Amino acid sequence: MKNLRVARRYAQAMMDSADAAHTIEETARDLAGVAAALEGSRELRLLAASPVVRPARKEAIFREIFGSRVGKGTMDFLALVIAMQREMHLAEIAEQFALLRDTKTGAVGVSVVAAVALTAPQEQDLAGALGRATGKTVRLRLTVDPSIRGGLVVRVGDTVLDASVRRQLELLKARFIAGGPPAN
Amino acid sequence: MSDVRPDEVSDILRKQLAGFQKEVDIYDVGTVLQVGDGVARVYGLTHALMSELIEFPHGVFGMVLNLEEDNVGCILFGESSEISEGNTVRRTGRVASMPVGEGMLGRVVNPLGQPIDGRGPVATAKLLPIERKALGVIQRQPVKEPLQTGIKAVDGMIPIGRGQRELIIGDRQTGKTAIALDAIINQRYTHGDKAKKEGIKPVYCIYVAVGQKSSTVAQVVDKLQQEGAMEYTTVIAATATDPAPMQFIAPYSGATLGEFFRDSGRHALVVYDDLTKQAQAYRQVSLLLRRPPGREAYPGDIFYLHSRLLERASKLSDDLGGGSLTALPVIETQAGDVSAYIPTNVISITDGQIYLEPGMFNSGIRPAINVGISVSRVGGHAQIKAMKKVAGSLRIGLAQYRELEAFAKFGSDLDKSTLAQLKRGSHLVELLKQGQFVPMSVEKQVVALFAGTFGYVDEIPLEELARYERELLEVMELRHPDILEAIASTKDLAPDLTEKLKGVMKQFTDSFRATVKA
Repeated sequence: MKNLRVARRYAQAMMDSADAAHTIEETARDLAGVAAALEGSRELRLLAASPVVRPARKEAIFREIFGSRVGKGTMDFLALVIAMQREMHLAEIAEQFALLRDTKTGAVGVSVVAAVALTAPQEQDLAGALGRATGKTVRLRLTVDPSIRGGLVVRVGDTVLDASVRRQLELLKARFIAGGPPAN
Repeated sequence: MSDVRPDEVSDILRKQLAGFQKEVDIYDVGTVLQVGDGVARVYGLTHALMSELIEFPHGVFGMVLNLEEDNVGCILFGESSEISEGNTVRRTGRVASMPVGEGMLGRVVNPLGQPIDGRGPVATAKLLPIERKALGVIQRQPVKEPLQTGIKAVDGMIPIGRGQRELIIGDRQTGKTAIALDAIINQRYTHGDKAKKEGIKPVYCIYVAVGQKSSTVAQVVDKLQQEGAMEYTTVIAATATDPAPMQFIAPYSGATLGEFFRDSGRHALVVYDDLTKQAQAYRQVSLLLRRPPGREAYPGDIFYLHSRLLERASKLSDDLGGGSLTALPVIETQAGDVSAYIPTNVISITDGQIYLEPGMFNSGIRPAINVGISVSRVGGHAQIKAMKKVAGSLRIGLAQYRELEAFAKFGSDLDKSTLAQLKRGSHLVELLKQGQFVPMSVEKQVVALFAGTFGYVDEIPLEELARYERELLEVMELRHPDILEAIASTKDLAPDLTEKLKGVMKQFTDSFRATVKA
């Protein structure tokens, strides 16, 4: 189970400190990099999750890997997380940090699933429309998934705008089973 | 039939499906963090409402029960083994509801209103939320009409009124369900022409089975069918195999269906069999959702769980149609301990209790009602005058008998009046015995109790009393239907009617005693 309460607290602490040092963007990039490294390396993930390796060892390893790649603030933060034995939650902390940064800068991450790859102008149109609708700067994350058959699935926060053909077919099927008249 | 041309079909389909691509479906989603034992924790769903239905994968539905800082706690109404961590769930925007309507009568459904009797879909037009606020003071009026259970001991001494909440409490195997079933079966007369003539409105029944064996529920349904009681009854079953969340919401579904009848000016009777198991199911989900345990590990709001349910029983004011919802909750005690947590809670919520004792049950006094500690706090106003006249002294007579009985066991010499009281008491106890599934109409009860309280049975040997009662009622039915008719229609024992009844009674008793001696 994800431990969001822990992740949120550490992310908030990091945010406060990064805000004071005016290094929010750098820190966000650093943490995203750490999360990506964890995602990419099974060994690193296992190391972080292992209770057998002593914190001092872990810190040394993390310093060797990330010391030259991330800022001093981020490295100190990593050391703190390891000292408190919360390193198994690092990926979630990075995720929460990104969310906090978005709230702070008035941006919003939007994931878009399309059946086929969108062209650049289409992407711009979509980002513009979503920006107007949400009133925030939109960061698009595009995925192509042919299983939705056609249309788009846009997710902003917890809300999904489902204009996919797959969903329409599901609704149509439900309507046929229920035997009611068409909705329109 | 003329042939259907393919192009015609595609035309119709095209027309029906026009505007199909315009729709954008908007919904809120969350991610399952943890699942198991009938509960799930979900991340996201930031706008979820309390008791909102959540759609999980594989057609499983859940209900929001906990709204926390960073997650939402749901109870699941289906198989939780099909759901795994990371699944996406969807808000439905609906609170948990129950379909209601006349179509429910005669059916066996689960607490979500889905039929489980294999007789196809239930035709209902309306959905009502299962959790509804009980009505306030202004919308109610005092209980005034009787709800006849057809059981002499209950209708005579612990009368129940329409809109009352009367607890049936006792150990296992003491006949709690039997009383509730008799009450349901006896409502058949309220649906007949005779009741219509007498101005008695029909009572619709709902039997809510919580945590019982499926075989027991099947037996109950079968019995109700045999007695012709299913026509006006709905059985809502959350058996022992159903997930605990189902058992927890079942009584609320029953109350919702009862309220549908009540709010349309009709009368409903809901039996919650039993609330002990519902409390246990609620304890289970509460502990799994990590709510702090209290006494007997029940959560702190266990009292509110039952009070908000039973508070929904009510008699509506005439402005609102005068409908009623009567509740007969059942509580099972352990070794006669009525001072356990749940029994005391429910006793204090209800308007009285019928206490059943295993000792009496085993010594053959059935229904095994302990008259001493059974009470009905409001039903007296609903009793018909004729019954009040014959049963008024019954309670006190039995109470005195019980006191003397213990005393007389020492075998000392007793004076004449004490002996008379003992004799009267033992005859009354015998007279109040009644078989299961043989409910008796109120006028017959009046006649039978009349024979007891006016001393006609005192000289009849105890073992002949059952035959005496049976033959007396036969004679009344065959030769003096006018007396029964008069009691039923006037609901009173006028002086001339009393005299007439006394005459008949004396004549019958004399002739009966002759048969005994022979």
